This record gives sequence, C-alpha cells and structure tokens, in this order.
Amino acid sequence: MLDFLIETFEAQEVAEIEPLRFFSFGGVRFKEDLVQFQESKFWALKRHNLLIFKSDEPEFEYYSFLNILLEVAQHHFQIQELYTLSGTISLMAHTTPRRILTVYNQKEFKERLEGYGLEPMTWKGPPAISSYLLWVARKRGIPGVSLWPEIPFYLASRGDPEAIKVVLSFFNRRFQLGIDLDWLDRERKAQAEEILGLRRENQEVDDYICRLEKGLPLDEEEQVKLVKEVDEYLREKK
Amino acid sequence: MTLRLYQRPELQNPLMFVGWPGIGNIGIIAVNTLKEILRAKAFGEIESLHFFYPKRVVIEEGLLVDLEFPSSKFFYRRVGEKDVLFFIGEEQPSEGGRMYARGEKAYQMANLVLDVASEFGCRRIYTSGACVSPIHHQMKPRVCAVATSEKVLQEVKQYSNTIVMSELGERREGEGIITGLNGLLLGIAKSRGMEGACLMGEIPDWLSGATFPYPKASRSVLEVFAQILGIEIDLRILDESERQVEEIVESFYVKFPKEMKEEYDQRKTIFQARPGTITIQAQIYIDEQYKKGSEEGGETPS
Repeated sequence: MLDFLIETFEAQEVAEIEPLRFFSFGGVRFKEDLVQFQESKFWALKRHNLLIFKSDEPEFEYYSFLNILLEVAQHHFQIQELYTLSGTISLMAHTTPRRILTVYNQKEFKERLEGYGLEPMTWKGPPAISSYLLWVARKRGIPGVSLWPEIPFYLASRGDPEAIKVVLSFFNRRFQLGIDLDWLDRERKAQAEEILGLRRENQEVDDYICRLEKGLPLDEEEQVKLVKEVDEYLREKK
Repeated sequence: MTLRLYQRPELQNPLMFVGWPGIGNIGIIAVNTLKEILRAKAFGEIESLHFFYPKRVVIEEGLLVDLEFPSSKFFYRRVGEKDVLFFIGEEQPSEGGRMYARGEKAYQMANLVLDVASEFGCRRIYTSGACVSPIHHQMKPRVCAVATSEKVLQEVKQYSNTIVMSELGERREGEGIITGLNGLLLGIAKSRGMEGACLMGEIPDWLSGATFPYPKASRSVLEVFAQILGIEIDLRILDESERQVEEIVESFYVKFPKEMKEEYDQRKTIFQARPGTITIQAQIYIDEQYKKGSEEGGETPS
C-alpha cells in the first residue's frame, strides 16, 4: 500500500536510517529472484503534506531505532499525527465486509477519529512493533493510531484488494487524497469471480466458505485445505 | 543504560543471589523462591528500555493502555546476622531472539548488577542454573558447583548434596561452559576482584529442551542456599509445581518403549558416563509432544 502511495504521488525520498546497529547482516534475502536489502526510508508527499516511513523491522536496538524514527519525523519534518499500517489475518469469508481494527495511543485522538467507522481493538499479549512505536510516540507527545484491516486468512498470501481499499478509502477521507479506487474494485471483483469459479468446481471449498459466511468456524485441517486450494487456484489463474 | 535505586539500605557485607531464566528455569525459580520466602524488599531496578523488547501490550477498546517490559530488579533482606541482596532478571538481554544473553548487552547488564553489588559492599555473588546430566528423573538432583576461586570451591564442597563439576561423570576435567548471564556474571565478577559460585541443579538430559520448568532441581539448589545462609527454609511452596511437572514427566516415562525404559532405569543404579542413544530417543519423544512455540509475538484481535 505504501509503495502504491509513493508511486501514485511521486513521493520524494528525503531521509533514511542507516541499517548498521539494527540489522544482523548475516546474509542477504531474495524474493522473486531479486536480492532484497534492509531499508528504512522516509518519503515526502509534499502536495498532501504527508511523510511516509517504510522499513524492514529491526532485529536489534528497537528502542533506539523507534526513537530515531520519531526524532526525524517530529523534529525534522514536524509530524502532527502518526498512522501505522498492519494487517490482521481473520477467520472470515472474503465476501464479508472488512473492518479496520484500531489501536490509539491517546484517548483524545481516538475521539478525533470517531465517525470514520474504525473498530477499536482489544488485546492482551505480545506486542507488535507498531504498538511499541505508538508507545514511544505517546512518550514524545505524538498522537498515533495503528490500523489493522482484516484479511481473510485464505487471501493472506495472494493479496486482498478489499482490505487495501478500505484503508485507502480511510486515507482518502482523512487526507482528501482523491485517489481513484476503481481499479481496486475491478481487482476485487476479478478475484471474487475467480473464487466463485473455484467454488463451482470444488464442493468442499464452497462448503468451507459457506460456513465462514454463516460465521461458523473451520478446524485447523479445513483451514489449511482452504488456503491450499484457493492459493493454487489463484496462482494458476494469474 | 539507567539504574534506578528507590532506596539505599544500609547493609553490612551482603551476599548476593542472582537469577536469570535458563534451562528448566532452575536458577531463577530457586532465587525467586528464596526471595519470596525471605520477603525481600525491592530497592532498585535496571531500566529495561535499552535491553528488551516489550513482553506484553494491553489494549482496551482501541486504547493502548500499557506496554510491559521484562523487569530486572534488586531486592534486599537481613537474615539473622547476614544481609542479603537479590537480583532477578525476568529475561536475559538477547539479540536476534536468542534465549541467552551475549555480546555488548550481556556485558553491560552484568556490570550494572555488579556495580550495585559493589556499591553496597557485596563481595560474594551466587548465581544458579541447570546442570544437564544423565540422571534419572526419579532421583534427587544434585547441585553442581563452579566457583571463582579454590577457596570458594572448598567452601561449597562442604554443603550436602553438592559436587563440583569435575566430579560429575563425563566432565571429569571440570571443564565446560555456563551459557548466558548466570555464567558471564561470575566471570566479570572475578575480573573485578569479587568472588562467587554458580550452583547448578541437575536436570535429566532428555528434559533439557522441555518448555516446562524443573522445580525439583530448584529445590536442591534452595537447600544449598539455606546452608549458605545457615537457616531453615520451608520449601512446601514448591510442592504443587513439582507435583505437576512430575506428572508430565511420568506421563512421558510410562510411554517409553520397554527396552528404552530398561536402559534408562539403569541410571538409578549405574552412573551413565555418556548420555548415549537413550537420551536422543527420549529427547525426540519429548520434542514431538512439547514442540517449542515461537517466541515471536504478534497481535491478534480478540
């Protein structure tokens, strides 16, 4: 999603955090045959007065890393609000509307974002780095929110245009970005058509999705099977 | 790296007991139980921010209420004529998801603990941990000791149920490594002219990878702690957890194939110098039953 924003608005790269101290450098990853290297970069969308930070998650010195990030954002770029983007894998059908679950670091900020249809999250357990960032931001007086759009578990590996759309719609409203989301609608419809094709061919898959649509659970074996069937089918169709 | 002392108790040549998590959590359970029994009072802590990733987040109705970090706290208590310091670290400062501390952070943490010990006049440090050993789980674990000097070694040898590492089977030369801070702290203590010992409770080798604690060995270590302090302590507090773990271990043991069981049972009478195949088979068995969960966290909405 951030790549999309960077590309669409021709964002300018304005700063980066040097990776030394924060990553192990024990080798190099590659994805789709391309070598990947740790990046922690800031991009400016001047027209909309937005700053984007896109990074791999640090392996060491989290607290220093998050403080450097916020130091640059707050004192160099004077950010006023912080939004983090994640995604939550959900045991739901792809035909169910997506919600955006949210975590705020200030009560006042939560109140300010009422009316956007965001769903407050409740959770006690190990924290994601976005919660850690929100916590450090609160110490520095920066209001922040983590956005966790729901993603049906069997679309997690293939991408979920509907989840992207709900977040971009939120950004459109909040920042008047005017992003045309028709292409996401087309992608969502195409994906839904493909899954419908699979459901017609495969009774078991149809049964699993029907149960999810009725809010009924699937056991672990059924979940694995559904993921496998959908993943293989969509890959073939690609 | 911040050290926060809420209080400066006046202490006379205190001893210090230190515990961090490790195999079977033997050491930390022993030190923490002693601290609880003696009702030691917290007087300071090492700030966690630079050492640890937070262990828990509390989010209620969309509001980030709290972020909890592993604690690293100091406690003190006067026991008869002796002043006692405790340091309990809920986690070892590790990098890249390792269980045991190493590198710069480990060195910094150890020195901060010793700085506090020195400030209050402590010259003697006891750490504790696990001694992975080819013993039978139905036998009482011994306490294996490593010390910073011959003088301390001779002292700890006087305690009942305590042996030095060179007396322990395959480690005849008394050589080995104490992984993590329970070991490193003593090395740094020695280099700073302090003395101490690491008291390690025996844990059966095939249980060393299990995710549950091994309080039976902590009990043995606590009995030695009591001798060091010259006090009687009531260890009934460990009965329930010990019973629960025994139940789990026995449930594995009864399912051992006949030959494996016979070979393993020889450990009750014949000292087995090397772990051998029995350990490997049993370890595989327990691994299958108790797969270690990922230590990496992630939020899932409720």
